Amino acid sequence: MKRFLLALLIVLLSFSLFAQGATETKPEEIRVMLANHPYGDLLKEKIPEFEAEYGIKVNYEQLQESQLSQALATEFATASSTVDVFMTRPLQEGLMFIKNNWYSSLADYDFADYPQSTVDIGTKNGVPYIVPLVTEWQVLYYRKDLFKAAGISVPKTFDELKAAAAKLTTKDVAGFGSRGKGAAAVTQMSSYVYNFGGRYIQNGEAVFDSPEAIKAIRFYGEMLGNYGPQGVTSMSWENLMPVFQAGKLAMWTDASVFYGQIIDPEKTAIPKENIGIADLPAGPVDDSPFLVVSWGMAIANTSTHKDAAMKFITWATSQELALEGIKNNITMASNSAWKGASGLMNEELIATQAHAAANGYPYDRPFVTSVGAARDLIGEVIIESINTKGTSTKLEALAKEKVAAVNELLKTDGEYHNLPY
Amino acid sequence: MVSKKNPLKTILFYLLIIIILIPIVFPFIWMLMSSFKTQVDIISWPPKFIFKPTLNNYKRVFVEQHFLAYLKNSTIVAVFAVGLSLLLGLPAAYAIARNNMDKTSMFILVARLLPGISFLMPWYIIFSRLKLMDSYVALILSHMLIALPLIIWTMVPYFKSIPMEMDESAMIDGATRTRSFVSIILPLAGPGIVTATTLSFIYSWNNFMFSQVLSRQKTRTLPIAVYNFLSYVEVAWGAVMAAAVAIILPAIIITMIFQKYVIKGLTAGAVKG
Repeated sequence: MKRFLLALLIVLLSFSLFAQGATETKPEEIRVMLANHPYGDLLKEKIPEFEAEYGIKVNYEQLQESQLSQALATEFATASSTVDVFMTRPLQEGLMFIKNNWYSSLADYDFADYPQSTVDIGTKNGVPYIVPLVTEWQVLYYRKDLFKAAGISVPKTFDELKAAAAKLTTKDVAGFGSRGKGAAAVTQMSSYVYNFGGRYIQNGEAVFDSPEAIKAIRFYGEMLGNYGPQGVTSMSWENLMPVFQAGKLAMWTDASVFYGQIIDPEKTAIPKENIGIADLPAGPVDDSPFLVVSWGMAIANTSTHKDAAMKFITWATSQELALEGIKNNITMASNSAWKGASGLMNEELIATQAHAAANGYPYDRPFVTSVGAARDLIGEVIIESINTKGTSTKLEALAKEKVAAVNELLKTDGEYHNLPY
Repeated sequence: MVSKKNPLKTILFYLLIIIILIPIVFPFIWMLMSSFKTQVDIISWPPKFIFKPTLNNYKRVFVEQHFLAYLKNSTIVAVFAVGLSLLLGLPAAYAIARNNMDKTSMFILVARLLPGISFLMPWYIIFSRLKLMDSYVALILSHMLIALPLIIWTMVPYFKSIPMEMDESAMIDGATRTRSFVSIILPLAGPGIVTATTLSFIYSWNNFMFSQVLSRQKTRTLPIAVYNFLSYVEVAWGAVMAAAVAIILPAIIITMIFQKYVIKGLTAGAVKG
């Protein structure tokens, strides 16, 4: 028995040894949460320079985006956070974080270098909370060699897009691809809805059952149903990109962030010179692709090192680093970054940015607190449309049903007829 | 009389084995192959079975992402969680078996049947108040929630299958209850203990949910670290596969070493003798 107790004692003692390591704190240390995003990678590389210049130690963690959101939400919700600065997705979590008072006010930050619409996304009652970091907009990736072989030019309208897809679809290669997996497809279908003159949400009310939106949903379903790769209704970008990289897709509409990936010779079977990037074709009513702030940076309201955090965020969003980002094909949010972009980045990509910046719409999803649930609901309508190649007779009724469900969500969150757009 | 084997039967036998093995082994082979492929080879269609192998994925896993640190974390957590669970679980199971404490064992099972996620929020709050977030203590305690009931429930029928007369004769010879448990019953229960250890080790090794919430940079375990290869713009399949190999390999080796005990242990409690 004695021996038994002794063993127990030893184990318990060794436990307390482990426990001590967690409590030590030093002044002027900040904890920064980065995303697994190319800009997060860039910051990670540059952080030693910041530490040397400001004498502030940065403890950073880099997490996959959904893990990051979850980790932040858990820490903030349980009031146990030690996070000072973090990368955040304004459209995905911004409203919820603002509502819960998890962001610290950035009224002292100089936002002059950012387009107003990108700052507005993270502003409530005149108080800005998020520094825009990276923007993305919808583009058309296409195969120059296949276009040349088929003797067609880059489509400028949806009609031309359909004709091109029909011509490029062969036994081996799908003519057209875009996200088809329910909720994930919502963002990439948004520009189609806008170009047909529709909206997901308008005046604080779900309106994706309008005749314009229905036309767009039918068109999207028709394109993917007829010319999309097999199994497209279970495909998001992580499935479509490899299909494109393997040379099995002639056209792909998705966010501009993937350009760096699809031209990387280590990841793509297609030579760089055969890959083109162009504006999303115009629709019958509008030519307004989404241009959104996909990532921003914020200071935690519970931060106990707000001065150091402010120094970090100012450094991390500086013009010099933004230009570094541009060099790495990262589509930065600041105006000055794009003024200096020529020569550092692919010119076609720069041209699509200029087009989207001039004409774009700043939301790619229903920008509401319950965005996840709303995306799931819209996703069901998209799947129905793709499965029937856009011909479903039930589509209007289904959309109406889902609109009612989204409106219920808005009412629950107190956002019904109470949104800034 | 010497029976001659029918060669056709032998061929059919092995053919059957191969057919059964393919669906089981193929994903592993695929994973192993992909871990040596470049991204271009992984996505190529039709799939390539002959390719120029690369070690870049493993380099990315072990050099760039410091998988050895995560390997260390996983090992510490699993070893301590299983070790402590054995320390508490074996005497508990023995007591339950010898005193027919069925209600107690039912109670322990209920703790196991509750979805693990229901424990997480209270744990999170408690551990963060105690400043034990990102500590091995938090992870080990949480993993014990899986290991302890598993060990108790594997061991109760095993101890029951060892005749009471063993204890009695030891005690007649002057041994205390503890002595007879440690010196007589435990060695007899060897295969059962190995089974319980292996299974609970694997559960802890593969656990995602508890480690995901309770660990941060310092104590992050292997299954969480795989997420490092899923980024906003890319899924690095090759590196994911290499990481999967690095995670599975220790589990496979341990299982192979203990395999014969495991099977003996799994069936031993089934028939009393």
